[in-house]
Amino acid sequence: MSGFSAIHGIVVRDLVRAFRQRGRLIGGLVRPFMWLVLVGSGYNAIARIEGVASYRAFVFPGIIVMATMFGAMLTAISTVYDREFGMLRLMLAGPAGIAAVLAARMIAATIIGTVQGAVVLLFLPLVAPVSLGQWMASLAAVALGAAASGAVGLLVAAPLQSVENFAAVINVVLFPLLFLSGALYPTLGMPAVLRQLAQVNPVSYAVDLLRATLGQPAEFGALRSALALLGTMVIASGLTALIFEPERRFMFRHRPAGP
Amino acid sequence: MSGPLDGPHAIETVGLGRDYGNTRALEALDLVVPAGWSVGLLGPNGAGKTTAMLVLATLLRPSRGVARVFGHDVVRDRAIVRRQLGLVFQEPSIDGLLTVAENLRFAARLSGLSASNARGAVAAALERAGLAARASQPARQLSTGWRRLADLARAMLHQPPLLILDEPTVGLDPEHRDRAWGLLEAARRESGTAVLFSTHYLAEADRCDWVVLLARGQAVGSDTPARLKAVVGEEVVEIEGPGADGLVSEVQSVATVSQVVRTDRGFRIGIRGSREGLTRMAALTPPAIRFTVRPPTLDDVYFARTQGQASMSARSVDASP
Repeated sequence: MSGFSAIHGIVVRDLVRAFRQRGRLIGGLVRPFMWLVLVGSGYNAIARIEGVASYRAFVFPGIIVMATMFGAMLTAISTVYDREFGMLRLMLAGPAGIAAVLAARMIAATIIGTVQGAVVLLFLPLVAPVSLGQWMASLAAVALGAAASGAVGLLVAAPLQSVENFAAVINVVLFPLLFLSGALYPTLGMPAVLRQLAQVNPVSYAVDLLRATLGQPAEFGALRSALALLGTMVIASGLTALIFEPERRFMFRHRPAGP
Repeated sequence: MSGPLDGPHAIETVGLGRDYGNTRALEALDLVVPAGWSVGLLGPNGAGKTTAMLVLATLLRPSRGVARVFGHDVVRDRAIVRRQLGLVFQEPSIDGLLTVAENLRFAARLSGLSASNARGAVAAALERAGLAARASQPARQLSTGWRRLADLARAMLHQPPLLILDEPTVGLDPEHRDRAWGLLEAARRESGTAVLFSTHYLAEADRCDWVVLLARGQAVGSDTPARLKAVVGEEVVEIEGPGADGLVSEVQSVATVSQVVRTDRGFRIGIRGSREGLTRMAALTPPAIRFTVRPPTLDDVYFARTQGQASMSARSVDASP
């Protein structure tokens, strides 16, 4: 019971914090549309992709994944913030312990990522026809992608002790994951090394799964992509739990002074 | 043992120590806090107070020794121990983006209270702390004092039998300090809550049942505030200013000196017996020198135990523990 209470408390707090930080929320929603308008319109005139009506229709699933991934991964900043300002100590000193904290953080990241992806998904009929069934399946794919992204975000945040550090590190993680995912252009034409990297990139599977649910040509197929995302979630969560080793869980802004 | 031995113990440590790499932050602390007692942990920065509290809060593992909370080992029975604790750290654990009530609700859920119990506990805690009127205010708008009171209300809302408070009143004005101690006293009176706290305001430790003085990771004094002060002497002569050194031997010639402590600004000399000669000395002391005779305080105990005593003449009495 104490585990459920703690998880509920942390999730509610994270959601309240996310929705009160309007700038972050609006930025998270504006960013994908900006890409869609600026990059989508430019390339729409010159790019032709086999099996898809237009470049804009091709890039839309990638843009949805971008919104989902950014939303879910950036939620991990709460963990760094809480460590830096002492709230993490409070959570870890509660009866529910580390498992509840990590589970709650994952759930909150999944919800936030899913909401941001779903908002973009709502606009899909503007660029491509979509049935209700496809829309629902896409929403499930978005949720799975958000869960995997949330787990990776937590893994990135786990060893970091300051919000500034997180901001610097997460950009180094986010953009390569996005550019090597097939979200913005097909990976088939990439050099061999980059293509191999794309194949071990979990975001590639999130994009591919979404394409599959929307009836676009998909490289890996829905089942393999879903399993890859689940695997990413399990591995990243496990590693996060290990990195959150007891003595580092509640790092202070100021270490307790030694003699 | 550095503490009272009777009754059920909220805290009991034996040889408790903690290292950070090669640095010994806490040497070997023997401490007993009976249920319902208020125990002050005093000492300079780096004495090991925070480390001891973090070990007791199950957030750090001890490097050696044993620590038990209500008979439960802080390493083996972590989950049980955590249910007994209310914690306040040096920096308030209050989220500025949430309202005061939301912060307390969050803490109530963290401590395992159900949603309905949390509602009741939060309302009661807000009332007790005088925060009811500020319940809907974002916590970032609170003054330092109210923020700290919200932090205390948070720690106490699930009515834990033991509160561990690391400098709970640091940075507070007298009014908020008074409110904070009022809250803690009420918890002790009404629920028999034990309190272990550290503070730099030594006058605050005067009100507690027992004081432990820590220096360089070790307990250098442990007793009731009254008995600790009695060891210093019946009165204390404080001499500050140029030429203070010369007056120390004069004091020793007119009074029975129990201890001489050199501070950055001069001397604190504990004395016993008649103060007649001192009154004459005070009248003859040049105005550039501050010469005062006053009752002993925990400050004097603190200086004597943490900074060591100056060399004394053969007739002075060594009052070290």
